[in-house]
Amino acid sequence: MLGLQGRLQLLRGRPSRASLFHTSSTAWASRKVLQKFKLADIGEGITECEVIKWNVKPPGVVQAFDQLCEVQSDKASVEITSPFDGVVKELLVQEGEVAKVGEGLCLIEVDEDSLDENAKKFTEPASPPLHQEQEAVQRKAFETRSEQPPSAPTPAQEPHSSRKRRPHPLDPNHPPDASTILESFSKNVLAKPAVRHLARELGVDLNKLAPGSGRDGRIEKEDLERYLAGGRKEESTTSTASAHQPQSSADVVVELGRTRYGMWKAMEKSLQIPHFGYSTTLDITNLHHILPLLNTCIPPHYLPDPPPSPYQAINPSAVHPAPSPPPVPASRQFSKLTYLPLFLKTLSKAMHEWPLFRASITPRAAGDTAKPTLTVRPYADISVALSTPTGLYTPTIQRVDTHSVFSLAAELKHLSHLGRQTPCGLTPAEMPRRGGTITVSNVGAIGAGDFASPVLVPGGGVAIVALGRAKWVWDVDRGDGKGERRLKIGVSWSADHRVVEGAELAAFVECWRAYVEMPERLIGEAV
Amino acid sequence: MLRSFPPLPRPRVRLALHKYSTSSTCNQLSPQHAIYVSNSVNPYFNLSLEDWLFRHKNHQEPLLLLYRNTPCVVIGRNQNPWKEVNMSALKARNIPFIRRRSGGGTVYHDLGNTNYSIHLPRASFDRHETAELVRRAISTLGIDVRVNDRNDICVGSEKIRVPGPMCVPAANECFRLYVSGSAYKIVHQRAYHHGTMLISTRLDTLGALLRADKDTMVTKGVDSVRSPVCNLRQFSSTINHETFVDAVIKEFRKEYDIRETVQYVDNGEGVDDIEYIRNGMTELLSWDWAFGQTPEFTYTLKKTLPWGTVTAEIRSKHGVILSAAFAGEGDVSQETLEQLGRRLEGQKYGFVDADIVRDITEQDNRYRDIWDFLSSSMDTYSYRP
Repeated sequence: MLGLQGRLQLLRGRPSRASLFHTSSTAWASRKVLQKFKLADIGEGITECEVIKWNVKPPGVVQAFDQLCEVQSDKASVEITSPFDGVVKELLVQEGEVAKVGEGLCLIEVDEDSLDENAKKFTEPASPPLHQEQEAVQRKAFETRSEQPPSAPTPAQEPHSSRKRRPHPLDPNHPPDASTILESFSKNVLAKPAVRHLARELGVDLNKLAPGSGRDGRIEKEDLERYLAGGRKEESTTSTASAHQPQSSADVVVELGRTRYGMWKAMEKSLQIPHFGYSTTLDITNLHHILPLLNTCIPPHYLPDPPPSPYQAINPSAVHPAPSPPPVPASRQFSKLTYLPLFLKTLSKAMHEWPLFRASITPRAAGDTAKPTLTVRPYADISVALSTPTGLYTPTIQRVDTHSVFSLAAELKHLSHLGRQTPCGLTPAEMPRRGGTITVSNVGAIGAGDFASPVLVPGGGVAIVALGRAKWVWDVDRGDGKGERRLKIGVSWSADHRVVEGAELAAFVECWRAYVEMPERLIGEAV
Repeated sequence: MLRSFPPLPRPRVRLALHKYSTSSTCNQLSPQHAIYVSNSVNPYFNLSLEDWLFRHKNHQEPLLLLYRNTPCVVIGRNQNPWKEVNMSALKARNIPFIRRRSGGGTVYHDLGNTNYSIHLPRASFDRHETAELVRRAISTLGIDVRVNDRNDICVGSEKIRVPGPMCVPAANECFRLYVSGSAYKIVHQRAYHHGTMLISTRLDTLGALLRADKDTMVTKGVDSVRSPVCNLRQFSSTINHETFVDAVIKEFRKEYDIRETVQYVDNGEGVDDIEYIRNGMTELLSWDWAFGQTPEFTYTLKKTLPWGTVTAEIRSKHGVILSAAFAGEGDVSQETLEQLGRRLEGQKYGFVDADIVRDITEQDNRYRDIWDFLSSSMDTYSYRP
């Protein structure tokens, strides 16, 4: 016999329990459980809130999405809505008290079968489910609910009439269904509001694009456009000839990205520096001969797949543990040495002999009229120009003279690994305010250039060198006049003429050449 | 901006989807536009308009509202007006204070201050992004402002630093003066960030009104974070309400790709009859909202009078005196003091009718002195427009 309660259940879309409806508690199948409703993460790093006002006092009936209370945190006033239909039995945090995120706000009594997996994520059973006492409470709850006048739809657009169980928007694991994908994106996908808005308009699911090219993996407008242009271009090739290419023939205005704009600003400032240039060619044939030898003795901890230990039958650690260097992360491992670490090492040797090139102009306030000073460092810090998908950076390797050629190679590998990530993985640790005193730009890796005229920026040291591409040439000065095939590389220096003289730079470069063209002397210097 | 595809049609105002119950719909203001500029300077109207737009606009679409008010002090949702505002200064200048619906601290509005309000879907709301929008708008007017880590906008001389080559910009350096304060409201599926912008405000009035000197009042609510302020006009002679409004609208259009025309809101037909707004204005004026939302506080007073000293500790919650404990040293009856205290229980703080304690105060000069001291300490000002 279908009672009033059974009819109400039908209205709510739940299977009728009419046949089980009895006044005796033992036959009652739908159990009531007490759920603790926790303060969900409001976002923005907020960890606690003060409860300003409760909109319902126990025992108070609430329906899903009714306003439960208002909390305040920092400068934000937040309305918290009820996750489901139920009766608020107890307030756990009173008005004026502070609730921490994750703490219980109140206890709501609900039908057990109405708890789905999602609800369980932000609520938990408050106590072991009551049984025998349930019946009287249940009947009272049902009666009060049936007496409730049908509430007018709230300003929110959800269809309340069907009273469908919907995951609460506060639930961080809100499952995306067709409508929610287009309407409200999960908080896990980072994108500026404008980008979300645009994506929503175009019907693009941001989850497909994550992570994007912006900071912290934010999806930027370009990612959206690229995603759509990719699809569009395919369409246009298959469509008739009358279809236009997405690329218009008119001028297109493009904004400078953050790094490029940073380069712009730095370069404008570089106009303050009087540059002078000096170019020469270094003979790296000897380096070329050494390189394969060095490649065979790269220390195993730098190798991605180290060869088996040469010690088969005997163990150096038998008496005492042999020194084992700390494990090296994959980003620092390399399998082949290049010229650049050797250039850096030899440069640091020359810098050691030339304090001027270990100096930087002491930073001073704009408008400071005292005589400028140079700060000379005991170590050689060299910055390396890194061209990455996100832009041009100049990370610094500190104390190059304390590094071995191998550890320099590891460092360079690590920097290029960080730089190649989007967004850029370089941090102020790799790019400290106090940069190198000399910058090295290996532009020869990109193109077969011989010479360049690099530009110094304020704070970028006193000199910058651009390395061209090594090429085999016929050197007529060698081989007793008969000539010889030599490997040469063009190097172009620019220096700050406020502190460096032309002759000093030339002499410094000759000092460097002495190391580069005869690398064997490094053995004598035992580093 | 690089666009390589035609924009999809944007849903226009849906006349069929009214959220408010009125009969005449033809010339009534719709809450579904994207950019609103209020030509009204009535603070009660503007705050209610903001709330109406907040609750009725399609919650997936961004909305911008700009407005300015005649002189008034606006306190945060959960603040103590007696602690935050100098009531006697308010009274002297006949300026109201209004409790707004968003959180945060106390600010002073006048016609030299422009308020912006950005409404967004809750899921994509980001305080920093909205603050950055305003910052960009101001920078197009030629003023270099920064957003600090509390998302306030500040300006002033920066700490000297020499930038490295193409290095990551350092965190905000020392900008010392504030030009804007922000507050937020977050509901089920919508959130807004609104803030002030000091363009040419009377800073002397601001200082006088926001200094209450009630150090012995300890309140449970939110205390304002006091910061030194300055006007943007100091940094540019071309900035005013109109140029600021235009700059923010332009930046908002760019950020959210809005092409719609600006809706100017004037008091009058089609606006004043919106019931939600009318009710909102009435609520803002009511004692229940203005004073009755004050969180619990305790006020400790001490006064030395010719005949002795009296200390009082008044506890109040929701604007009502819970208890008033008096203690007297000197020639005064403790019993009468207790009687006085009991008489005050349940009375509205600051609005205690002198008649309630007349029989006690008329007993003796001493009690009248105590009462005078008490009522002047509980000074309040209720604005009647």
